[in-house]
Amino acid sequence: MTFREINSKMVEATVAPGQRLFSQRGAMLAYRGDVSFTPNVQGGQGGLMSMIGRRVAGEATPLMTVEGSGTVFFGHGGHHVHVITLSGDTLHVEADRLLAFEGTLRQGTMFMGSQGGVMGMVRGQVTGQGLFTTTLQGHGSVAVMAHGGVFEIPVTPQRPVHVDPQAYVAHHGEVRNKLSTALGWRDMVGRGSGEAFQLELSGNGTVYVQASEEKL
Amino acid sequence: MFRLQGSKVLAVDMTGDAVKAKNGSMVAYDGQMAFKKLSGGGEGLRGMVTRRLTGEQMTVMEVRGQGTCWFADRASEINLVSLQGDKLYVEAGNLLATDAGLRTGTTFTGLRGASQGNGLFTTTVEGHGQAAIVSDGPAVVLRVSPQYPLIVDPGAYVAHQGDLRQSFQSGVTFRTLLGEGGGEAFQIRFEGDGLVYVQPSERNTIAGDL
Repeated sequence: MTFREINSKMVEATVAPGQRLFSQRGAMLAYRGDVSFTPNVQGGQGGLMSMIGRRVAGEATPLMTVEGSGTVFFGHGGHHVHVITLSGDTLHVEADRLLAFEGTLRQGTMFMGSQGGVMGMVRGQVTGQGLFTTTLQGHGSVAVMAHGGVFEIPVTPQRPVHVDPQAYVAHHGEVRNKLSTALGWRDMVGRGSGEAFQLELSGNGTVYVQASEEKL
Repeated sequence: MFRLQGSKVLAVDMTGDAVKAKNGSMVAYDGQMAFKKLSGGGEGLRGMVTRRLTGEQMTVMEVRGQGTCWFADRASEINLVSLQGDKLYVEAGNLLATDAGLRTGTTFTGLRGASQGNGLFTTTVEGHGQAAIVSDGPAVVLRVSPQYPLIVDPGAYVAHQGDLRQSFQSGVTFRTLLGEGGGEAFQIRFEGDGLVYVQPSERNTIAGDL
């Protein structure tokens, strides 16, 4: 694994010749060895089309390419860092939560509004995360950021999981997500429990949840 | 039924029973859950009047269902407290969840509350069961016995339980008024037999400026 958790808020990454890492611009804290950092004008990989895709999607957190040989320490804003390892499956995560990921992973964007129809559109509005999300696919590891620690909840066909949209961090696997509402007439007259909107994840995979309802 | 997942997440396993939790503190659940708003200060009309009078407004929801429900509050540390018929005194803002079987109410704290800037009233939890309280940083639990009274900074005080008397002591002298105070002008003194939860952080209090 390329990423090693140093403490809850910092990861160490090993870079070897011929390997690339991508990280959020400005997230390098320190490095050892011969490492170069180049701002990524294309905003990641995938060429012009995916760049336009990301611009339109608003998922255009500036990235940089990290190459060379040595070790690099990453961290950002005192947020908690959590390492997720992918073995062929797809991780869905908001671009601003991505701290760093291995160059072996394919990056893309996905239109979330297509999942769950109209409620999918509402999801973007409610979570404040827009209608698009970043996807990473392949074999490799990813370091994501969260406010407070991250814990994993397995999603199985028998046990769908509901997550507070503000506490949702990322998910991977064959998971469908839709926004469910628990809105009744009581909420309309201002007696809500504060849990009116939930993200329902069903299928097979894992969802990552942070111990806070604050955005980054 | 209450268990900690890490230090910042409370997991509650439910089989058709219920818990009371701070409004909006659910981060995830599996299974079937229903969320219903309640309000603090006890049940019924009397509770409502108490809340109005005391300003100790805690918006609480009842979570009932089958499965596991996870709670967290702004990445604060969570402490589990178990009650065997005794009473827990806690600031409403620091109470995350309680067994539905526990009774909650409000009580007068006098000057202590005023010095903390939290009002004159505090929340009480009573009965048999578990409660989860949050603190800014990991809280320490300090024992108070008749021989060993404990003095706590009002800004670091989180909660207490047991048979304790509390009094307010002030170190305000003419030096304080001249601006040469030690920065620890007010303290709460606990005497008796019980436990006090103290957090490694100080809230802003009126006393803190003296």
